[in-house]
Amino acid sequence: MAQRSREGHVVFLLVVGLLAWLVPGAGHVMLGKKKHAAVIFVAIVLTFGAGLYIGSIGVINPIGAKPWYVAQVMNTPAVAALGQMTKTGNYPVYGRPNEIGQIYTSIAGLLNLLCIVNAVYLAHLSKDEDVGD
Amino acid sequence: MTKLTALLLANFTVPENIGVNPQSMLWLLPLVASIAVVYKATKVPKIKAVGFIRESAVLFGSIVVFMVVTALVLCAMAWLITE
Repeated sequence: MAQRSREGHVVFLLVVGLLAWLVPGAGHVMLGKKKHAAVIFVAIVLTFGAGLYIGSIGVINPIGAKPWYVAQVMNTPAVAALGQMTKTGNYPVYGRPNEIGQIYTSIAGLLNLLCIVNAVYLAHLSKDEDVGD
Repeated sequence: MTKLTALLLANFTVPENIGVNPQSMLWLLPLVASIAVVYKATKVPKIKAVGFIRESAVLFGSIVVFMVVTALVLCAMAWLITE
């Protein structure tokens, strides 16, 4: 792999991190780790989707459940768009479905944060070596 | 097709009916499976189906066993304190 300049390397790390946040697993795709990316994408999307199915999109609550919302936004910035829809209060959800939905969607977001950090770390290592599959 | 899409999307606007009972704790199992799979995906250098499934299953089992042991210890402590 060709060596990058210091500035180019920082930009590369930022792009990998941003891509990994935009779409779960996309950071690993950029590093050539397609199997890792597929596993991460399927697992995170299924977990997030299950949370939304159980609790409805009402579990994304940027006003009444801000700490959960911060974790949920780690899935993808598109969650912020859902937050704009739900902050009107048209999707009320209470009790156990709310708890389970929030836990699923927030854990999915935190797992994606782990993957973002992992992708950036692998991208940093790739400055000296090829880390692809 | 439009009706099907609308029906699918409608499923995400109304919460499921989940009771507050001991069985609802089983909802932690799919979550633990997801955590085990994603964590292992970030740890293994190469993904090979059999090895990856085995490692994820071991982590899944470890987490579940640890949680059961913790729950038993907490139950025992609660019983000792209240009896």
